Formats: sequence, C-alpha cells, structure tokens
Amino acid sequence: MTLQRKIFGLVLLLLLALALTLPFTVSNYMLRVCNMTMITYMCVVSLFVIFGMAGQISFAQAGFWGVGAYISAILTVKLHVSALVALLASGLGTAAFAAILGLALFRLHGHYFGFATIGVVMILNGLFQNWKPVTGGADGIANIPPFAIGSLEFASETSLFYLIAVAVIIISIATYVIYRSSLGRAFMAIRDNEIAAKCMGVNCYQTKVIAFAISGLYCGIAGSLFAFVSSYISATSFTFMQSSLYLVMLMLGGYHSLPGPIVGTALLMMLPEWFRFLQEYILLIYGLGVMLLMVVMPDGLIGGGKQALESYRNKRKGVANVAQK
Amino acid sequence: MSPKNNPVMVLEKVCKRFGGVVAADDVSFELEPGQIRGLIGPNGSGKSTTLNLISGICDVEPGIILLDGEDITKKAIHERARMGIARTFQHPRLLSRCDIKTNLFLGHDLGNMRRASGASQEIDQSVDELLDVAGLKIGMDDSIKTLSYGQQKLLEIIRAILTKPKVFLLDEPAAGINTREMDRIRALIAIAIRNKAAVLLVEHSMDLVMSLCDIITVLNFGCVIAEGVPAEIQGNEAVIEAYLGRRRHA
Ligand SMILES: Nc1ncnc2c1ncn2[C@@H]1O[C@H](COP(=O)(O)OP(=O)(O)OP(=O)(O)O)[C@@H](O)[C@H]1O
Ligand SMILES: [Mg+2]
Repeated sequence: MTLQRKIFGLVLLLLLALALTLPFTVSNYMLRVCNMTMITYMCVVSLFVIFGMAGQISFAQAGFWGVGAYISAILTVKLHVSALVALLASGLGTAAFAAILGLALFRLHGHYFGFATIGVVMILNGLFQNWKPVTGGADGIANIPPFAIGSLEFASETSLFYLIAVAVIIISIATYVIYRSSLGRAFMAIRDNEIAAKCMGVNCYQTKVIAFAISGLYCGIAGSLFAFVSSYISATSFTFMQSSLYLVMLMLGGYHSLPGPIVGTALLMMLPEWFRFLQEYILLIYGLGVMLLMVVMPDGLIGGGKQALESYRNKRKGVANVAQK
Repeated sequence: MSPKNNPVMVLEKVCKRFGGVVAADDVSFELEPGQIRGLIGPNGSGKSTTLNLISGICDVEPGIILLDGEDITKKAIHERARMGIARTFQHPRLLSRCDIKTNLFLGHDLGNMRRASGASQEIDQSVDELLDVAGLKIGMDDSIKTLSYGQQKLLEIIRAILTKPKVFLLDEPAAGINTREMDRIRALIAIAIRNKAAVLLVEHSMDLVMSLCDIITVLNFGCVIAEGVPAEIQGNEAVIEAYLGRRRHA
C-alpha cells in the first residue's frame, strides 16, 4: 500500500516536526490543549484497534481511560509508588482488566458486544463516582504528583508535551506494526468475514480478547498520563459521552487506515478552540456533522479523500484512453 | 478406483438435520491424498452442508469425522483449519475491505503456523506462480472490490492452496465463471493435487466433474445414492432419476 505508506510517513514526519517546535511557538494554554489532544488520540487509536481493525464496536474506551487514570492516581497519592511504575501499572492493569472483560463479553456476538460495552462504561463511571474509599467518590483524587523518572521531573507543560509525544509515537508505531503483522490480518479477517477467518485458522474468540486487551493497554497509558497532566481526576471525565466522542473522531478521520485517528482527533479537539464564538452550539454542530459525514463520506476524511483521488486518477486514465482511440 | 486405502479423511455415518429437513443422512466416504472426489447432487441435496460438517461450520449429529485417524468431530473450525482442512465457499468469502495482498497473506499466515508446528512443509509454488497459473494480472494493493466474481473465486482457491492443506474442499468453484477461468481452476486443482492434498469437489458442471474426478459420490436429500468412477456414475439409473426427477440445468 504505497499511497497509504506515503500518507502515513508524511503525517508522522509532520507530527515529529511539530513536536520539536511546538513548545516554542504556542502559548502554554495551547500546549495544554495539544497535550489533551495527544492523550485523546491514544484513546481513539485504541478504538481503531478494536473497532477499525477488529470490527468490534466498543463504548468502553473512556471507562478504560478512567481505570488507567485511577490506577496511577491511587498508586502515587495513596501508596506513594513512583510515577513510572504507576504508568506501567496503569497500562498493564487496564490491559488485564480489558482482557478479563473480553473473555466474558466476547461470548456475545455481533451488536450485543457493543451494547454490553455501554454497560461497562456506565458501571465504571458509577464505580468511580460512588466507591468513596478507593476513588474518592464525587470529590475525585487531587494532588497527584507530577510525572517523574528518578529525579527528572515533568512538571512544566513543555516537558509533559515531550513525554506524551514519546508515548504517542510509540503507540503509533506499535499500531502500525500490528496492522502489518499476522495479528493485524487476523483482526481484519474477523472484521470482514468471521467464518472465513475461522477457516483460515484464526481463533476468533482469543484474537478478539487480544485486540480488546491492546485497546485497554493504550487507554490505560492515556489515562495515567491524563492523571499526571491534570493532577486532579474525578468521575466526570470518564463517561459514555466521552466514549462516543472517540467514536465520532474515528469516524470523522476514517477508521480504515491509521492516519484516520490522527486527522479525526486533531480536527475535533482543535475546532472548538478555533471556533470559540460557537461554543454554545458545539454539540449541535457535532451532531449535525456526524449525520452529514455518514451520508457524504461514510469512510471518513481519509477514506473520502482517497476515493476522490482514485476517481480523479481513473477519470484521467479514461480521458487518456479515449484520446488514444 | 485404485483402492490404495490410505485415507487422510474418513466420514462415518455423518448426519445433520435442520428442523425437519435432513441435510445429511448417514453420509460416509473417504478422501485419499492426491485424489479428487466429486460430490454431486441436485440443489438442496446437502453438498454444501457436507462441506460445512467437515470444516466445522455445522455440528455433526450424530456421526464421526476422522483426520489422519484422529476424531475431529468436536473440534472448532480454526483447529480443523490448523490441522490442514482448507476450503472455498459457494459464494467467495474474502476480506472485502482489505487489499489483495492482505487476503493472500492470510493464507500464508496459516501456512506458516502449520509449518512452525511441524504439521506441514513449504509449498513448491510461489504466490507469483500461483497468480500466474490463475491468470490473475492484478495489483497486490488493489482492493478486493476491483475483482470480478471469477477472479474472486480464483483468489480464494489460491488462498487455500497457500495453507498447503491435507484436505481441500471446493464448493462449486466453476459456478458463475467463464470457460477460460474454468481452465485456470483445473490448473489450480492440479497444483493442490501435486501438493498431496485430498480434494473434495462439489460442482454442478458435469464437464468438470467427469473429467477431473477419480471417484464420485452422489447425494440426494442428504443420502448417498451412488458412488463410483465417472463412467459408472454417468450410467447409473438412480442418479439419472434424481437429476431428471428434479430437473435442472447441468
Ligand atoms: N444453515 C441452515 N439452516 C437451515 N437449513 C439449512 C441450512 N443450511 C442448509 N440448509 C438446508 O439443508 C438442505 C441442504 O442444503 P445445502 O446447502 O447443503 O444444499 P446443496 O446441495 O449445497 O445445494 P446447492 O446445489 O443449491 O448449493 C437444504 O434443504 C437447505 O435448505
Ligand atoms: Mg451448495
């Protein structure tokens, strides 16, 4: 897929160039928005893995994000564990949680899995909200110390920016590697034709659990970073609404290829900043946008763009053929 | 037939019911490496169901299926695939949203897995050779949607051959394709045979069945009504009755 590779390479390069220079060119506030965008991007990529690749729609992602955030918050604030260990624990803990959940939920087929994940995010939100001794209840958890590796502290917005950028790049590359691997092909086989996948030796149940665990890993890491960035977390962040937003971002960018999550997340996170004056109507605009998108460009901006490019090429080819005759 | 009697697969009184419909009724036969068994019969006689029972898509109830002497009747679809049962479908089941490369690699992945567990060796042909035999001049990055129906069927056969199957089930490979593609299918089946597969060919085209098959099983209403070499089947009263009784184009 040379075109896809080119696009992906280009986007990655742009991202890298941006990453190196951004902290010097934008305000602290904008940098905070960028940090939140990158954290959101990780969750959207997690949805790309479970939905875009493996075809299993999940609304649990914001719940996983919360699990990751609470693991890091509790470990550092209450148990005084080092931040790096907390980050790893968030990633692995959330992955394990998703895997166990997957073992139960992938007994369900088709849409029923998706419905069940709605329950998951709601139950998790209720738990965050009400399990006072552990999650702090409605008060949440405050005074989360800044992220640190040994004596190297990531307290400033700029240093956090680089920290998160590293995580984003690692997750992007990992996802790309999975996409090209036999595991990624197994995901896509399940998405496109489960019977064919089984007949080609894919253990669909196990493979779906793996996809869900990977998506949990990404969300867990994103959640941990979110806890360190905001130093305060509460249940209000980890909602069904947030999960739906991830889905909208993925659909906007396009869920067939890797650049989709980048484009979709960046657009939806940045738009409200650019169109401040429309803030009151932002949800209305989102809603209308989603409906319009599904009608006009069901494959998202990347998919739609590719299609336009292809039909343009075919038209030129057609013209050339006619000219030859 | 040549009774080498060294079957890789044995079906023993295999049955399947869908509500009141008996789709397979005490079906028994054997498959031998390097041989082609034809499975024919009128529409709805249980041919596809028999393939589904062998590949595990339907549960056998009751009956026994043996692969290399091992009872696989209770095994999951993917386990059977890993043991070397490959198949194509009456309507091609490709990864519709992936490119051609990904579809072929899926076969490669299973082939690798089987080789890693020592269950099989490398096939002699490269993907390019197979595509050449199939006459598929296609870009590896093209979407599956750019392929014609016949090309999809050919690609599905190649995907199965890449797994180096012990047992290769083909469900009406020649339905809905043109004569040139028919020859390509013959050539691909010949390659599967050279790789020592035992082929079970479901097909309505009598031309293809009579010229390719070493032995033929005829089904009607889920029952085996005849078995024999092509010449025997062509003159068999019960077979003619079954086909004429429920007339269909061959
Ligand atoms: N999944 C199913 N559920 C219910 N009935 C089924 C199912 N699959 C097959 N049948 C029934 O079993 C019988 C045998 O069907 P099968 O598809 O095996 O026939 P076939 O020999 O492949 O026919 P054709 O030549 O039309 O492909 C038919 O009566 C069919 O309606
Ligand atoms: Mg059939």
